[in-house]
Amino acid sequence: MKLQLHAATTSTNVWHSDKPDCDAPVEKCCKRSKAHASAFAASLSAFATLCLLLAVSAVLPRQAQANDQLLEQDWKAVVDEAQGQTVYFNAWGGSDRINQYLQWVAKHVESDFGVTLEHVKIGDIAEVVGQLEAAKSVGRTSDGNVDLMWINGENFARMKQQKLIWGPFAEVLPNAALIVDSPSVKFDFSVAVEGLELPWGGAQLVFIHDMAVTPEPPRSAMALLKFVQDGGRFAYPAPPAFHGTTMIKQFLSELTPDPAALAVAVEKADFDSVTAPLWDYLDQLHPALWGKGKTWPASGEQTRQLLDDAEIDIALSFNPNEASAAVKGGQLPESVRTYIFDKGTIGNTHFVSIPFNAKAKAGAMVVANFLASPKAQARKADPEFWGDPTVLALDRLSDAQQADFQSVDLGPWALPLGTANTLPEPHASWATALEQAWLERYGN
Amino acid sequence: MGRYFGYLILGLFSLPLVAGLAGTLLPALGGMPELAPGNGLSILLLDPRFLPALMLTLKTGLVATILVLLLTLAILVSVHGTRLWRWVLGMLPPLLSVPHAAIAVGLVFLIAPSGWLVRLLSPAFTGWQRPPLDWVIPDAGGWSLILGLVIKETPFLLLAASAQLATLNVDAALRIGRTLGYAPARCWSRLILPLLYPRIRLTLFIILAFNLSVVDMALLLGPGNPPTFSVFLMSLVNDPGSRAAASAGALLLGIGVGFAFVLVIVLEKLISAVAGYRRQSGHRGRGFGFWRTLACFSAVLLLGLGFVSLLMLALWSVARRWRFPNALPTEWTQRHWLNHASLYEASLSTLSFALATVLLSVLAAVCWLECERKHGLPNVDWLWYVPLLIPQITLLFGWQAAALYFSFDGSWLTVVFAHWVYAVPYVVLILAVAWRELDPAWNHAAAVLGAGYWRRLWQVRLPMLMVPLSQAAAVALAVSVAQYLPTLLLGAGRHQTLAIELVTSFGGVDRRVIAVLAVMQSALPLLAFSLALFFSNRSSFGVMKSSRQHLATRERAL
Repeated sequence: MKLQLHAATTSTNVWHSDKPDCDAPVEKCCKRSKAHASAFAASLSAFATLCLLLAVSAVLPRQAQANDQLLEQDWKAVVDEAQGQTVYFNAWGGSDRINQYLQWVAKHVESDFGVTLEHVKIGDIAEVVGQLEAAKSVGRTSDGNVDLMWINGENFARMKQQKLIWGPFAEVLPNAALIVDSPSVKFDFSVAVEGLELPWGGAQLVFIHDMAVTPEPPRSAMALLKFVQDGGRFAYPAPPAFHGTTMIKQFLSELTPDPAALAVAVEKADFDSVTAPLWDYLDQLHPALWGKGKTWPASGEQTRQLLDDAEIDIALSFNPNEASAAVKGGQLPESVRTYIFDKGTIGNTHFVSIPFNAKAKAGAMVVANFLASPKAQARKADPEFWGDPTVLALDRLSDAQQADFQSVDLGPWALPLGTANTLPEPHASWATALEQAWLERYGN
Repeated sequence: MGRYFGYLILGLFSLPLVAGLAGTLLPALGGMPELAPGNGLSILLLDPRFLPALMLTLKTGLVATILVLLLTLAILVSVHGTRLWRWVLGMLPPLLSVPHAAIAVGLVFLIAPSGWLVRLLSPAFTGWQRPPLDWVIPDAGGWSLILGLVIKETPFLLLAASAQLATLNVDAALRIGRTLGYAPARCWSRLILPLLYPRIRLTLFIILAFNLSVVDMALLLGPGNPPTFSVFLMSLVNDPGSRAAASAGALLLGIGVGFAFVLVIVLEKLISAVAGYRRQSGHRGRGFGFWRTLACFSAVLLLGLGFVSLLMLALWSVARRWRFPNALPTEWTQRHWLNHASLYEASLSTLSFALATVLLSVLAAVCWLECERKHGLPNVDWLWYVPLLIPQITLLFGWQAAALYFSFDGSWLTVVFAHWVYAVPYVVLILAVAWRELDPAWNHAAAVLGAGYWRRLWQVRLPMLMVPLSQAAAVALAVSVAQYLPTLLLGAGRHQTLAIELVTSFGGVDRRVIAVLAVMQSALPLLAFSLALFFSNRSSFGVMKSSRQHLATRERAL
């Protein structure tokens, strides 16, 4: 509630701000440059070239300042400034459906706001975080390559800790007021969000099985072990692939004698005793897996392909609606269903954030705000296009906006509504520790 | 004046080589602390993945290279001079022009437990209602990677060897050998191979360096846990804390490749000593019917696997539903071709790099060869081989460090420059043969008739060299289209070419979409080669027609 109030007061200030509107791009936004520009126009002398150079050099250091003003300007000024900017959105590019959704977004921000959105498809956002760290260490604090990035969990924790995020920008966005108040929106893997990233979608670990092959799939970690030992076919991607890491977190949450330890930083817990049952379990599980514990699927999406190829019986997904989308796209048979473990599975929220050295910050804000708009969220929730659960609180929307969401047909293949039983993510620091321990044991 | 232009081209070409080595060497030795902190070598050696990755690379790289050499020799000995030989020769250029990544993807569709081969045989012959669990692709031992490399590299060596055979008098040597009563295999091993091998050694070295350092094919076909050494280095270089370690590893890989060259030379000396001794024994040898059949069979199998892999791509690109064990899709769709905006963008981006690379590399090659001819500049053919013999990763980590340091990463021009450096060697080496062979009398005759230098160049020399020029252009296009690493490392993720889209989306995106990308990536160079071929056949300059020499240093998509 506190977060909401803060957002409200900020936005009131913003709307009543008496600063003049600024139509020009950021370079021309300060008086000095305007003065020089008019001198140039008036004199038309050879001297003017020098003036222009001076103006440019005078403006450059002020640009960072102007960017921080963005957080206090009213929204219209931000939108005006965004006009004509190109936003490089670094987002995982491994799903054609998501890529197409982002192309739809690009079309709309282009026509509605004059912002050009370039989806930079990347394999792992951690690499981009690394590049930002490198940029910071060599002092590249402006004109960065990345304007907006899709992020959560340990990558967010790393960025927040290293101060690689610009903002707090999220609370300033008009659509932030529509976002649901839930713990996973305020704490990203137990790390406080504090307006440094904007919630974009929800996610939960789910399993997809083919009724024609496996009518009674295993519904707990122990049942899964018995299932593979009895000849059932299963595989999970090797960590640090995202679905693989989530899968071992799921096993750990179920098997550990001390679940409370997972909510705090890993340094404060006795890692060995908390994780001992996990390694025992995996030692038994791995020889019976597809690939015999020597070869692993590359990604969660590949397990879906392997399910369609009948090489395995159960696919992993982090999207409760993925099966619907896949059936409609011809990637899975109609006999598939989605389910979760009886005691629940790990769920979280994914976000977008703006790096400290982004070039088109206003444009990035406009795109982020559009991503959280009811129109964009309703389309995203539709398995026809993506099928990613919304982060908006439906009761805060108008009737027409709600109708968009209600018309979404999930189909019988998705996780049935109301059956979601979400376990919290362990603290962000656990992911790296678990990945390292896994690689040491099973990496070769 | 023109002389300096020649030196300028050499400078432009050498600059990235020097900068690349420096940019890898400096961080490896702790010389760029803000970009690459720490002691690279010790971080690298302490990494638990270091040793397994290195061992795996030695295995895949060396085994693949040895197989490539043995297969090439076996095919030459058994198939050369038969009707099958012409068929094999005809199959080589298309297989060579297709990028490694596309072949790799098609191969996975073919040989996986749920792949086409098993589907064709199941359940009728195998009894398998579901895919077998006996193997997985990619396998942990690296054998699928070895297979992929052999399929792609054997045609390259075979083509180089066939071009060299044209300059040796093979038929006469065989006739003499047979008259003396030697079996055909003995004729080859005692009369022809000692002459042929030194002429294909450099090509073999290029293949060896490539096999030991390949990234895109290793990502697609190689095991992930541990990965090959170069893939391991790629995961390090993306982590800023580990750039020093990655650079040290890239340096180590470069040195390792150098050692591998020495090893090959030592082996070669040993074998030639033994062969020299055996040559005096006078044994005539016996027939080799079984081996001959085996070699013919493996030639057909090898080329067949390559082409069926391409067929797989085409089939998957139009499949909607295709479940195991159906031999063909049960539902078809064109949706992935028609409704796929990123395909269009990636093709455009790929084409823009490819056309710029073709233009600039042909221009540079023509300028250099003209300078060489006109001003008597020294022959520096060895220099062009340098980027082909150094592992790509060793140079590119350095370029990337330099680009980051001077903030010119991500620009279109930087990426074109990198493509150019990899295309120019092939273009120069292909054109050099034709340039030096062209009878100077034509030039003199035109000069006597009063034509100036430019007119002679435009209206006499260049038109006469149109065939090798078009072939060189096709090769440059194929090289550019296949470039994965330079585009990835220098493009800062901003240039989504087909190669990048294909490799990054493999394993994640819908198989049908991957197939569409791979078909497109294969289609561009195939189209270019068809155009070049069409041009050669139409060309009225019979004198220059398809001298096999031009194929000698023909394309190799690195």
